[in-house]
Formats: sequence, C-alpha cells, structure tokens
Amino acid sequence: MADKTRFLDKDYTRRQFLKLSGKSLAGLALSSSMLSVMGVTAQAVAEGKVTTWAFPQGLLVVNADKCVGCQRCEINCTLTNDGCCSSYISRVKVTRNLYSSRNGNGLYTENNWVYFPDTCRQCADPACGNACPMGAIYAGEDGIRRVDAEKCVGCGACTQACPWHMPTVNPATKKSSKCVMCGACVEGCPSGALSIVLWDDVTAAAQQV
Amino acid sequence: MSVLNGINGWAGTVLRVNLTTGSITREDTLPKYKDYIGGMGLGYKVIFDEVPLDTDPLSEASKVVFAVGPLTASGVPCSGRMNVSFLSCWSKGYSIIDAHMGGHIAHAFKYAGYDAMIVEGQSAAPVYIKIEDEKVSIEDASHVWGKGTFEANATLAKENGDEFDVVSIGQAGENLVPMSCMVTSFGNSGGGGVGALLGSKKVKALVVRGTGAVKVARPTEVRLLSNYMIKELVGGNNNHPVPTYPQSWAEYSATSANRWAGAPHIHWEKAPGGPISAGEQPVGQINVAAMRCNKGVFDFGEISTKYTVKVGGCSSCPVRCYTEYDMDPLADYDLPTHVSNTCMPIIKMAEWYPEGTKDFVDEGDAKMILGGAGARAADEYGVWCNYGNLYEDFNMAYTTGVLQDVIPEDEWNEIPWDLMKDGDPRWVYECYRRIAMKEGVFSDLGLGTYRLYEKWGMDDASKNVAGVNFYDFVHGKNFNIGHNGYPRHHGPENCWQAGTLYSMMYNRDCMVHHMINVTSNGAPFEAVNKRVMEHFFGEGCFDKQKAYTPINENKIKVAKWAFNGKQWHDSATLCNWMYPMTISPSKQREYIGDLDLDAKYMSAVVGEDYTREDIEFMSERISQLLRAMTAISFKLNLDSSNLRQDHDKVSDWVFDKEPDFKPFEEGTVKLDREDWEKSLDMFYEAMGWDKETGIPTRETLEKFGLADAADKLEELGLI
Repeated sequence: MADKTRFLDKDYTRRQFLKLSGKSLAGLALSSSMLSVMGVTAQAVAEGKVTTWAFPQGLLVVNADKCVGCQRCEINCTLTNDGCCSSYISRVKVTRNLYSSRNGNGLYTENNWVYFPDTCRQCADPACGNACPMGAIYAGEDGIRRVDAEKCVGCGACTQACPWHMPTVNPATKKSSKCVMCGACVEGCPSGALSIVLWDDVTAAAQQV
Repeated sequence: MSVLNGINGWAGTVLRVNLTTGSITREDTLPKYKDYIGGMGLGYKVIFDEVPLDTDPLSEASKVVFAVGPLTASGVPCSGRMNVSFLSCWSKGYSIIDAHMGGHIAHAFKYAGYDAMIVEGQSAAPVYIKIEDEKVSIEDASHVWGKGTFEANATLAKENGDEFDVVSIGQAGENLVPMSCMVTSFGNSGGGGVGALLGSKKVKALVVRGTGAVKVARPTEVRLLSNYMIKELVGGNNNHPVPTYPQSWAEYSATSANRWAGAPHIHWEKAPGGPISAGEQPVGQINVAAMRCNKGVFDFGEISTKYTVKVGGCSSCPVRCYTEYDMDPLADYDLPTHVSNTCMPIIKMAEWYPEGTKDFVDEGDAKMILGGAGARAADEYGVWCNYGNLYEDFNMAYTTGVLQDVIPEDEWNEIPWDLMKDGDPRWVYECYRRIAMKEGVFSDLGLGTYRLYEKWGMDDASKNVAGVNFYDFVHGKNFNIGHNGYPRHHGPENCWQAGTLYSMMYNRDCMVHHMINVTSNGAPFEAVNKRVMEHFFGEGCFDKQKAYTPINENKIKVAKWAFNGKQWHDSATLCNWMYPMTISPSKQREYIGDLDLDAKYMSAVVGEDYTREDIEFMSERISQLLRAMTAISFKLNLDSSNLRQDHDKVSDWVFDKEPDFKPFEEGTVKLDREDWEKSLDMFYEAMGWDKETGIPTRETLEKFGLADAADKLEELGLI
C-alpha cells in the first residue's frame, strides 16, 4: 500500500503508474478529472474493478465491468502478432478468466458475470526474465520486455516463474511470447473495457484539481 | 491444428467417437468435405452418407455431427457458432435437422484442432466426451447424470480446469424428451431435440480445451476487414442500422422499437462498480459497438436496466445480444437470480400464465421477471421451446379446454394451478420440470407439436373438445407455418411470400434472418430499406409491412438468396442474426451494406479467391441436399412422394386471418392462396425442382455434384 499512499499526491507520472501496472486501483482516491479521463467512476475504482498498465502510448485502463467476454482482444492480438487466431497464445488473456478462473470468477462459477482481460505487468524486476535459462527475455530502449525467438528454447520456465503465468509457449512454434504493448487489443475492443489514455491527457488531468 | 498442418481456415481433421466400441479415430476434412464448406453442409454430407434416413433417431445407428467451418475462430466477427446435425425425433418425416449453438465452445473446439466430431453408437453408462487438443477421451459422467445443465457445466468445468469450456444436456435430454437442447456458457443453447439424441447415447456433455490456433492466409487483411465491418457495416443486434433513441450523429432514429437500444440514458444499472451508460455509439467507432445492442430494453423496456449487470454473447462478436441480469425479486421465491438469455426463451414466458400475470416490484416488470425465471428453468432442465411453439401449444390447449380434457382428473387436481393463477415464477419451473421428467400427461407437451397434436387429437377438429384443427386455427397465438410441427421464424407475418417460402423449406423452424433484419430494423422504408434492397435485387423486390404485393421474379430472388444464404452461414460458420451485411448504419455509404463481405473474408482466411457467386453455389449445394434428404425421409417414413402436398402445405390461418381484409390490402399480412401456389411454382423453378412434387430433378442435383442423391431418389421412384 505504500506505493498507493504516495500516489495520492498529484504528481501523476508514467513512473508512478509503472509501479501500479496490473494492480487494481482500489484504495486510491483519484481526482474527478483523472476519473473522467480514464472513463471510470470512483465506485468502480473502490470496488476494485479498474486496473491500469503503463504503456508507451499511454495508460492502459481495464474496466472489468465493461468486459463483455467477446475475446476480440485475443483475436486481434494473435492476428497482429502471430499471423493466426488463438486464445491460448494470446498475449492478452481473457478466455482463462471466462469459464471458471482460479480466482473463482467466470461463467461457470457463482460470480457468473465477472470476467476481464489481463496481461503482462512489464515488471521492473521480471521473474520471467530472471528465470529464463537462455537470457531470451530482454528490455528494449522503450522499456518493453520482449522474447528473443532466436534464443528461446520453449522450456516454459518464464511461464512458471511469472506469478500470473503471462508468457506462453506456443505449442506450434515452441517459442514463448508475451505482451509487446502493440495496442491491437485496445484498438479492437468493442466495449471500451480496454482503453488507452494518452500520457498528455493523464498529465493534464493530474494538473487539474 | 491448422498451424501445424499448413491448412488455412479449416482445422483439417474430423474426429469420430464411437460410444459402443470406445474407438476414437480421425479423418482428413478437406478431401471429402471441402465442397460442403463445414458446419451444416459437412453434417448433412455425413448423415447422407452414413445414416439411412429411416433410422430411428434415438437408436444406436443414429449419429450426431458437431461441426464448425473455415471461418469459425478465424478472427472474423460473429464466427462463434457451432452447428449440430442429426435426424429429427419430433417433426413430420423425421428428417435432417440442426441445432445451432453460440457461446464460446465453437472457438474452443476449433482451437483444439477439429472441424467436426461425429458421435456414433451408444454408451452403456453415462459418459462425457473430453477433448484437450489431440487428447480425446470418453469419461465417466455418472456423477452429473440427473443434474441440471448449470450444475453439470460448473462441476465439469471445475473438475477439468479453468480453461475448459462445457456444453451439457439436462434432465430433458437424459429422459429422451424430444423438446430438448444442450446448454453452454450461460444460456447459450442448441435445440432441435439434440438433447434426446445425446441422451439416447448416454452422452451428458462435451468438455473442450484448445491451445492451438487457426491458420489464416492473410491475417492483416482479416483484421482490416473486421475493422471495416465493425466501423461501417454493423449496427445493433440483427444488424438493425439505426438507433432506437435519437443520437446526435445519426440522421435517423428507429421508426419502431428495434434492437439498437443503447443510448446515453440507458445504463447497466447493476454493474458492481456502479451504473455504466451505453453512451452514444457513432458509426466509425469500434470501441462502442458492444454498447449498441441492449436486448433487455428491446425485450422488456427500460425497466430491464434496473437488473442489468452487463451484456454478453458469443466468441468474436462485437454485438452483444444477451443481457446478463441479476433479478433480485426471484430470490423471494428461492429461485436463482442470475439469468442470461435473448429472444424466445426469455420474452414469451407469459404464455405459461394464460390467466394473466402480476407485477413484482415495478409497474410492467412481470413479463421480465417471469421471463428470467422461465429462461433459467428451461436451460436448467435442458428443455427446448421449438421457437415458442411449446408454450403456445400449452396456452392454446389450456384456453380451449383441450388440456383439461386430456389430463386425467387425479393429475389435474395434483397440478399446483394456484402458482399459475398467482403469477408465481415457480410455476414455470414446475412446467419445465414436469416436461423434463416426463411426469404425467402434462409432459406430452415435450413431444413437440407434431406428435402432441396427433396424440391429443389437436390435428383433427373431430378429435378434440375444441373442435378445431390447431394447425389451421385462426388464432393470434398460432405460429404453425404448416402441418409439420414447427412454427414460422419470421414468415408471412412480416416477410410476405419470401419469408413463408423459406419458413417451409426446413424440418424445423427456419432460423433465417436475412429478411427480418431489414423488414423490422426500424430504418425508414422508402429512404433506406426499399432503396437498398432494390439496389441489390431489383424493382419490386421488397414490400412494406402490412402492404404486401403479389409475387414477382425479384421477390423470388430475395427468397432464394435468403434460403441459400442461411446454409452458408451455418456452414462457414457465421451468425445469421448478424450476416449478411445488407443495410449499413453509415450515411456516407447511403446505408448500402456489403453483400460481398462474406466472400472477401473467405478469400482472406483460406487464401483462395472466392466470389459471392462461388459462395452462393456452394450454399445451394447444401440446399439441394437438404431437399433431397427431406424427400427421401418423407418417402421412407411416411410413404409420401410429394413434398409440395405433404411438406410445403401452409396452414389455413395464414390465408384466413383478419377476415375483414382481402389479401394485398393495406393493413393486413394475410396471404392469398392462388398467389401462394404461384409463389411455389416460381420458387421451385428457381431452385430446379419439379413443380408438381417439389423434388429436385436429376439435372439439378448433378449440377451440384449430387448424383448419388439423384440415384437414391430414382431408386425410390421419386424422380
């Protein structure tokens, strides 16, 4: 919570959002202008329905309440990055939360209507990269961690090491892959459950009280 | 999976599961089935080749074919459908029919690496079929046998793991009730009596996980075409192209209530994080497409928003036609409050309450709350409603006195009629429970209209207490399009001769939405609908509601386009509620849709050039096979040699309703008998069928490579 408490000051920066990537914003008191630019309500934040990721293009906002389970995020991810259509190897994951997820949510649980997309946190100290015996997971100048397909041997150590099991070894190519923050999932989301707020807009909202 | 075998679009493998022997084998898809596309076409080819059409549908020799197509899970929007083909156990002639299922299981199945699964034989004990990529097994299902579909799905999902999807039958299927279905996701179902066929094989469920991928020839093109479709061609559910409520960007709003009910004042009130507004949804914006359809508002009015959590639907579809409700008032009756459904199973539940309903909390909420109870109950027990005929039959039998006449006094006195009279939601559970458990004469309703009318004498005015033939009964609630046991699925009531023609062509309700998506879409008649339809099909092809005109060549073109097009959609597979993209919501496009889009998708996914004409030819092959199989079944099972007389006979009420009007007068939707006979002549000619018998000629069948079907017809003396 220390990160979140400090976040209450008005210095909204990409660095601060990086610390929160993939974490629910519950517990944060966001200003009305910040709520507005993110397209969410204080209640949705308080209920833990809103999660953000710091992407180079802007702040990725996931509003679980708006996710309609269509899986178009996975479809657009794999058409863009893999030249095929798949759920399992998608870098954004919604199908594994759709049926009966390990969190007790999904269509076949008591919380039938709770399902949402999830993706790589781009951790500062990445368990996936640390676990890779081939040193195949590297951070580029943009800070995005990618898998070097030349080095990857498809051992799955990254999948096991990641607390959220985000990197996925493609059964066909035997290579791991993970989110490269391309934004295809956001572009194709038909409900706005996934959206990107440009950093300039985040900064502008932060400067308003 | 296709990424391994190099095939684009198709997965490349057909799975065969024999429950008698336990053998599980695989065959290549394309050599035998490419001409039949997939889905419905593939299923019909399997049944034609492997199951004699006089086979008892519930016997060991009967087969059930689950199938998807080359576009399923290819990234193409609205490609989340699975088609299931089998012999009907309830409609006249006991011929070929389909169940059509949405949800998410079609994607899971395709990702697992299969285009189809042929289920044959019979198991001695309850089983479920488990598919995890190349690992396929027959598993013990004794612990879920006897359970409702929600519990069965939850149990099997939990046991198998969090990436498994499930579809199961309920008690209705287990007890071989003809009016039975299978249920997946949360209220997505496939009907047609498939529950009874699976029940006869002792198959409780299919459990699927697929970690593979569908190989796509031109993935960027598929993504760009999808974006183009969602931005410029898609409207609300049933592709209604104008918003119900005026929006600032829109030239038109709906002239009558339609299925694009999302608007700034329409909220998902029960979203856990507080109400979510549907906002405005301008053309050109992908990220608001899912907010357009608010089916709850269309079905029940704005009161529905009070209980709406979010909207749902099928894999890959940006238009969410299911509303996901949490209906608190049901908790007062110890009933589940979570409900997700769309269309018939939820909107017509008041038919189970022929003496009226009572509101629960708010004025006008009875239809919705009872609808929620009924949808949940039908899915729980796995009962199929035959597109509403189930409860229309109940309603008509009750109100005419037939029901009380046929049910023995002891049983009648034991039925809790007070629940019905009180408008209690537990009544509809009671109805479905009795049907699913085959309890008493009441449960005959589950036989389906054809067998029910025969058993209760409702097909003969001299054999029932009401003194009418219920097929022909001029009654506001009579949906029977003919005497075959199934209703119209948008026929004469709003799609004139065209809708009546294709409503007659199947062995269950037709499930064709080509026309209703235009006739009831809320767009202005002259400025949009008539102009665009005539752009595609020529002058005079399209009638105004309640102002029908005599049949003409261009109307026949429309009927044939719709009939063949439905076969394409259930084979590709694409959702026929959304496709084809006939009318666009875009003013810049002058509201003209894109009927070539399906061929563009097929070309981009498969990597071979397909034109609209290619697609229509392949689809017509399936139409011809359907017709030939229907003729064979009618001969073998009813000794009928004439489909025109014995299959395509339209009910009298279609011509005799609204006696104050003559046909073609403004204000009525009744048809004219002489014009109908002319319509059949013209349609048969357009299809290459004999005008006297309505059976395809050899020349027609050979044109589509169906010489084997012609041989069979000739062997039976039908051609």
